[in-house]
Amino acid sequence: MRTKKFLIGGLIVCLAIGYLGFLGFQSSATYYYSVSELTEQGSTIYDENVRVKGQVAPGSVEQGTTGNTLKFIVIEGGTSLPVTYQGVVPDTFGMATEIVIEGQLNSTGTFQAHTLMPKCPSKYVPQQ
Amino acid sequence: MADIGYIALCLALTASVYSAIAYTVGARRRNWPLVTSAKNSLLAVSGLISISIAILAYALVTHNFQLEYVASYSSRDMPLAYLLSALWAGNDGSLLFWAWLLSIFAAIVILQKRNIGQELVPYASSVIAVTLAFFLVLLLFVSTPFHKLSFTPVDGTGLNPLLENPGMILHPPALLVGYVGFTIPFAFAIAALLTKRLGDEWLIMIRRWALLAWLCLGVGLIIGAWWAYVELGWGGYWAWDPVENAGLLPWLVSTAFLHSIMMQRRRGMLKAWNMVLVILTFSLTIFGTFLTRSGVLSSVHTFSESTLGPFFLTFIGVTLFGSLGLLYYRSADLRDEAEMESFISRESTFLLNNLLLIGSTFAIFLGTVFPVISEMVRGVKITVGPPFFNQVNGPIFLALILLAGICTLTGWRRVSIRNLTRHFLWPLLAGLILGIVIFILGVREWYALIGFPICGFVLTTILYEWSRGVKVRHQIRAENYFKAFWCLITTNRPRYGGYIVHIAILLMTIGIVGSSLYDVEQEVTLKPGEMMTIKNYTLTYENLDIYETENRAVVTTTLSVNNHGELVGKLVPEKYFHRSYKQPVTEVAIRTTLREDLYVILLGWDEDNTATFKVLVNPLVSWIWIGGGVFLLGGLIACWPER
Repeated sequence: MRTKKFLIGGLIVCLAIGYLGFLGFQSSATYYYSVSELTEQGSTIYDENVRVKGQVAPGSVEQGTTGNTLKFIVIEGGTSLPVTYQGVVPDTFGMATEIVIEGQLNSTGTFQAHTLMPKCPSKYVPQQ
Repeated sequence: MADIGYIALCLALTASVYSAIAYTVGARRRNWPLVTSAKNSLLAVSGLISISIAILAYALVTHNFQLEYVASYSSRDMPLAYLLSALWAGNDGSLLFWAWLLSIFAAIVILQKRNIGQELVPYASSVIAVTLAFFLVLLLFVSTPFHKLSFTPVDGTGLNPLLENPGMILHPPALLVGYVGFTIPFAFAIAALLTKRLGDEWLIMIRRWALLAWLCLGVGLIIGAWWAYVELGWGGYWAWDPVENAGLLPWLVSTAFLHSIMMQRRRGMLKAWNMVLVILTFSLTIFGTFLTRSGVLSSVHTFSESTLGPFFLTFIGVTLFGSLGLLYYRSADLRDEAEMESFISRESTFLLNNLLLIGSTFAIFLGTVFPVISEMVRGVKITVGPPFFNQVNGPIFLALILLAGICTLTGWRRVSIRNLTRHFLWPLLAGLILGIVIFILGVREWYALIGFPICGFVLTTILYEWSRGVKVRHQIRAENYFKAFWCLITTNRPRYGGYIVHIAILLMTIGIVGSSLYDVEQEVTLKPGEMMTIKNYTLTYENLDIYETENRAVVTTTLSVNNHGELVGKLVPEKYFHRSYKQPVTEVAIRTTLREDLYVILLGWDEDNTATFKVLVNPLVSWIWIGGGVFLLGGLIACWPER
């Protein structure tokens, strides 16, 4: 009998945690695409918050005059995506080849990023 | 030289495999000479790995750039401390460091003098030897730090400038000591299961190991948060990044374990559960080691993608399912000796504490691996961000803290309502008054209105408990109050160390709640001489200066700071451009007080010296670091050997 009471109590706590998780999930679940997958989605994902993975196209980075606006192109699987970003540029951005960005694609085809997550190559490649 | 390091690892692998087999066979057949030979060969393993890590350290210090590892993670201009820290800067080196720590711990386990549990040591050592063998296989065949280049570069790439911070010298080793330390409790748990010696014996033997590993892991996490705050320059200290989570998960499970062992020691309950927690903690430490190295999840921390993934997954699978299977096989011998007697009892608070900690662990785990799961199930990757983790864990952590207060003043078995009301009257009043005061002061956010009173309540329960103890000693032994307090703590260190850790958690909670609810930020572009205002601060941008040093160009800006109209000092946010690295390093300027941090980031500048800054005011952040110090103190008191 007493064990049963404890089980019910435990179950209520688990359900509460589950419910919290569900609420949190609803408010922050984000699709994670590669650049080519993103372009396949077409207009269905305009203005929706998504994460996109790709490579920073060499030489495409344009820094704004005061240094906190950034334009660059992300490429992957033969498709490219123009990106604009305003805010703190992570120090690791300059070294990054691969990058994950989060933000929205607007109807003009430009990706407005609000978060940059550069991945750095930590391997030494001999030059020649 | 490098060849000797490699050969030492080969020999170490052979010796650890021999040791694992000889220990088990010797202990089974009661063949003591065989057990002794196993013991000696495990000691030899720790000697051999020590030789090999010494050789790598020597190669780093003497700039032997023919070694790929040395060329990748060090350069001639690095100071000695950072040269040595390059040992754990890269994938291969940190694996070697892992193995070395474990081999040292193994030697301590073997050489420790003990009165009880001698029968467990051979089996536990065997488990350690198997784990060592796994890491040695990785070091020899998958990612060896002794790989040579076909030529010798003139200079190495050097450490990423972001890693040049005292945090780099402390954070990875502390985390790794924590990770590796949990192997010992796991090994003794398996030994207890194998030998059917399932009483309190193994718990007594591993208590200090578990506590020390837990303490190092916790301190490592806090140093990591501090490092992110002062060095990464985004104004925050915790981002729910997969690798941060990977460190937090085993810490949460081991926190549950440290609480639930008290249930077994005092009341003979939760025996099987304790086993589950140890197994889970160990598996999560290996999972964390794997996550940093596999490139499965995108994270700022990951080493470059490597081929280690499948090896780790196999190892985790085998240890997790193997040990849970063994646990099931022995479940008949793990029955509890007592039953729960009442809802209102210390036992209940411990049960709920465990449930909440595991619930939080599960939610964080799920959130961390969700991209992988959703891709397997639905073919699309879905990530969950910080709001998910905050929404789930905020309430859980507040409930946990509340429990710490309730538990302090609730007795074992059952408690009368009269007793409860008598003990809880003052703490409840204290919490309530604090709540009303901050409400009158204008606090309206739910988290603050609930969180701060809970902290006040818990702090009062702890102080009440201490004052009771002091009074009793004062009356019975006629000690003065200071001596009574000192003796109270020193005669029951684990208990009072635990209370001090609880206070540390309260301090950190105050910092976390304050800084996440009341932070303000502003981005401004200023010409020299212009000023900006944020909260009670007025910042005047004075000038910009660019100068060159031997190995870098530095852009430095100066701002004078007025607080409530009074000049309080200057802040100097900077950016470095290293010659050998393509990446700039942003040096944030922080003015810290107990009340709040003023945090200035230099974002960019123009030729006419117009500069853009991001300015943040983060209230109460320093309480997190103070809490970290108190956490270390409490943990050390709890670990300190009893005479």
